[in-house]
Amino acid sequence: MNKRRRQLLLAAVLAPVMATASMVPSFAADEVTISHYFTGELGQKGLKEILDGFKAKSGITVKDSPIGHEDFKTGILVRAAGNALPDVFSYWAGARTQFVIDAGDLRPIDGMWDKAGLDNVVAKSVADGATKYDGKRYLVPFGYHYSGLFFNKAVMEKAGITEAPKTWEEFLAACEKLKANGVTPIALGSKNRWPAQFWFDYLILRTAGPDYRAKLMNGTASYADPEVKKAMDLWKSMVDKGYFVENANADSWTDASDKVARGDAAMTLMGTWITGYWNSIGLKPGEDYDFYPFPEVTAGVPNAVVGPVDGLVISANAKNPEGAEQLLEYLVSDPEAQAKWANIQGALSANVNVAKSNYNAVMLKALDTIDAAQTFAFNYDLSTPPPVAEVGLSMFARFMDDPSNVDTILDETQASAASAFAE
Amino acid sequence: MADTATLGSTSGDYVAPKRFNPWPVVIFICLFTLAILFLAPTFGVLLSSVKTTRDIALGDLWAIPSSMYWGNYVEVLSNPAVHGYMLNTFLVAAPATAFSIALGVLAGYVFAKLPFKGSDLVFLLVVSGMFFPPQVILIPLFRLFNLMGLIDTLWPMIIVHTALGIPICTLLMRNFFATVPNPLREAAILEGASEWQVLTKIALPISLPAIAVLATLQFTWIWNDFLWPLIFTQSDEKRTIMLGLVFMKGQYSVAWGIQGAMSLIASLPTLIVFLFFQRYFIKGMTMGAVKG
Amino acid sequence: MNQSNTFWRVALLALPLSVFALIIIWPLLSSFYYGFTNWNGFSDNYDFVGFENFGKLFSDRLFMSAAINTIIWMAIAVVLPTVLGLSLALLIDSHVPGGPIFKTIFYLPICLSAVVVGQVWVWIYQPDWGLLNTIIEYVTNDRFNYAWLAKPDSALYSVIVAWSWQATGLSMVIYLAGLTAIPGDLLEVCELEGATTWQRIRHVILPLLTPATVVVVALSVINSLKGFDILYIMTGGGPFNSSDTLAMHMYNESFKKYLMGYGSAISVVLFLVALTIIRLYFKQLKKVDEIYG
Repeated sequence: MNKRRRQLLLAAVLAPVMATASMVPSFAADEVTISHYFTGELGQKGLKEILDGFKAKSGITVKDSPIGHEDFKTGILVRAAGNALPDVFSYWAGARTQFVIDAGDLRPIDGMWDKAGLDNVVAKSVADGATKYDGKRYLVPFGYHYSGLFFNKAVMEKAGITEAPKTWEEFLAACEKLKANGVTPIALGSKNRWPAQFWFDYLILRTAGPDYRAKLMNGTASYADPEVKKAMDLWKSMVDKGYFVENANADSWTDASDKVARGDAAMTLMGTWITGYWNSIGLKPGEDYDFYPFPEVTAGVPNAVVGPVDGLVISANAKNPEGAEQLLEYLVSDPEAQAKWANIQGALSANVNVAKSNYNAVMLKALDTIDAAQTFAFNYDLSTPPPVAEVGLSMFARFMDDPSNVDTILDETQASAASAFAE
Repeated sequence: MADTATLGSTSGDYVAPKRFNPWPVVIFICLFTLAILFLAPTFGVLLSSVKTTRDIALGDLWAIPSSMYWGNYVEVLSNPAVHGYMLNTFLVAAPATAFSIALGVLAGYVFAKLPFKGSDLVFLLVVSGMFFPPQVILIPLFRLFNLMGLIDTLWPMIIVHTALGIPICTLLMRNFFATVPNPLREAAILEGASEWQVLTKIALPISLPAIAVLATLQFTWIWNDFLWPLIFTQSDEKRTIMLGLVFMKGQYSVAWGIQGAMSLIASLPTLIVFLFFQRYFIKGMTMGAVKG
Repeated sequence: MNQSNTFWRVALLALPLSVFALIIIWPLLSSFYYGFTNWNGFSDNYDFVGFENFGKLFSDRLFMSAAINTIIWMAIAVVLPTVLGLSLALLIDSHVPGGPIFKTIFYLPICLSAVVVGQVWVWIYQPDWGLLNTIIEYVTNDRFNYAWLAKPDSALYSVIVAWSWQATGLSMVIYLAGLTAIPGDLLEVCELEGATTWQRIRHVILPLLTPATVVVVALSVINSLKGFDILYIMTGGGPFNSSDTLAMHMYNESFKKYLMGYGSAISVVLFLVALTIIRLYFKQLKKVDEIYG
């Protein structure tokens, strides 16, 4: 090896050391820090514009730190463990927020809520359930979603289904018709487990009702109860009849949505964010796709809808709590910011002042469906404590793989859930 | 250096009597087939990068596209944030690679040439540092750097990658230095050279190949790392390319095409580093492995 | 002289060992400490629970299957890229035309990030239109839609194949370097004495490659720990935990179930297992030292 080469090699290894001089941390006085899971090009850009609007109004700079959805859970936990939570962060309303409140990491916002008169701004459907914990307000809803049976309009019409199936019998009849037409009725992409939860949610809500479900979610009812068994047996009978696509566990929710978009399957039980996805690949709301609400199963059971609420919370030791409160107030009560955000995310705004003209036909229908319902319930993994949710989500995936041993699965789930509740 | 080993019976100085030898053809076909198999996944990334997300969603990813869509590349290359990501990643990967090798050289030399009572145990402890999942030390390290006020700078990543590289660098350097003949060192010391001079003038030049191997590996691993930037950076200006790649995907949106294009662009530096260093480390093992 | 040796030992080891202690050892110990608590990560308060977390390991069905999966993963991760890498190196080293191009092609995968590699392998294994099943359908001329990543029997192995695809190039490069070092005249002598190709590989080349093997095995083990990323993206330990490894299980318990204490206990066990493996590895290393040192 000659000498010149050798020098070149050493230089290549050592030179970059010099390049690291200009890295110093920065601090700023009047700013609020925010961390959130709204990534993706549209999400980041849209939020930036909204935050710029806030700066123009209040003079407060918002330091923005987006982290992808799944990684956000890790990121925020590490920062909580390091006592370095940002002033404001996005979080899922429900059991997850309760978990963080129990750990003493959040700051109540009752003062701001009353002063800003948010009672008149936030939609009743989500107001108390999502924002109030142990009698205090902690969270403002930034946007929320509804989950329903989204379908490919052409495929449904071809099978002669033009009316929403109102009852379970009608729904099964529709599935049968689709099958006879050579289309798989239902697409499900349960690779990441959570898309399967909506089936469990709706089946248990429509048979045992919201009160029983609440008990199951907080550990006072058991997965070995006949109520759960009944819901799972309904689900099983549908899988047995071949209404679900094969290999649901191999697909992500977008794969399942693609199957519906292509017409390989007719419908999928999914949240309103699917409209954002479908619109982005060129499908037209109301023309190419639409949705039906989940049908009634047992008559007389109160009508509930399911969906997640994206919330914003303030951490207990926020460095700039006043600024954080101003930011939260702005983000929920400014109709323009809310309208813009709802549009970008394919979400519904929790602000009642957002003009209906901001929504497309499908989203308007979703709003009406929610208004007509007696209860807004959070989906499974947001209703039950995180350790239990992990157990349940795995149960759904296992069930989809082989529904025949549903009894064993339920018994094991109850055992694991009981020990998870005990933690 | 003498010309090298041959597997078939052609080539080299020894030439067989003229008779058709099928081996090179067989080997070539073997390699060619394997190469096609190996390229298939990469080809998949390439395909995804020249299709729109709509095509990937509705059509078929594996179909050869009738027309190329370059929009993904345009979007990635014209995005100023991406340039920042690349620069940040370089500013982390290059010094961390250099530091970890430097520290590995120091430690490896002692373990190879100046063993002491219990040095085996210390070496064992150091090497064991490469056998645990990094998630184990996430929280304590976040606390440490938070205390030092270094969160949202590039420093924690440089420091952590330096430390995480110590085990493998020490291991490789120790093995390499072990092949430097002891009499050589002793003679130099008798002539009045210091230990430092032995290390830098005798041992180090011989082990440049090992350094080249380590430089390639460390640079590639650090460049492609995702976990530490996730934990230690907060603002977009400090993000690395892998975070940029992952966060292209939104809460409820996908961007397969852009991710494909961006990942191919992101892999170029590591490929260049490999091509640059590989001539050194192929020469390399030569000395380390057998002589000694 | 002895005294000056001591000086140099201290001087040279001071920096590496202190960095290592501060960034690796101390966080490891403090993480192990949480293994004896019921900390959930979010809260400032936690209780000391003694060995409860460790006791729980024995009744944790998921821990047991994750432990078995880890052993499977490690075993294949060491064997498959090593054998494949060695074979490729031997083929390329035979002065075949296009050698450098082949070398680059086989090395290429390691340059790609786990995020995209994971995704593209998901597309390969996709049951309906994935590359693998399409090829199988073409060859057998029959419908085939096995869901490789969604079936508990095949998920782990499917991920290991994807991982090995990425890791093989590394082994190959190290072996190529090792092969270059074998003197050509030695092999000629073998040939003149009538040794077959296989005999040459078995009795001359392989023994001389032992130092390279030591490096390849070490790198494979480290690299297999980096396999977390690809597993995380391809199956996330699923379907229903069937492809969990200990690292994945520890991650799930700590960061998804917020059982930081229990997760730390798992990492203690993982570390102890690793130490045992290293001891064995070191014995091997010692043998090599005796031959070549």
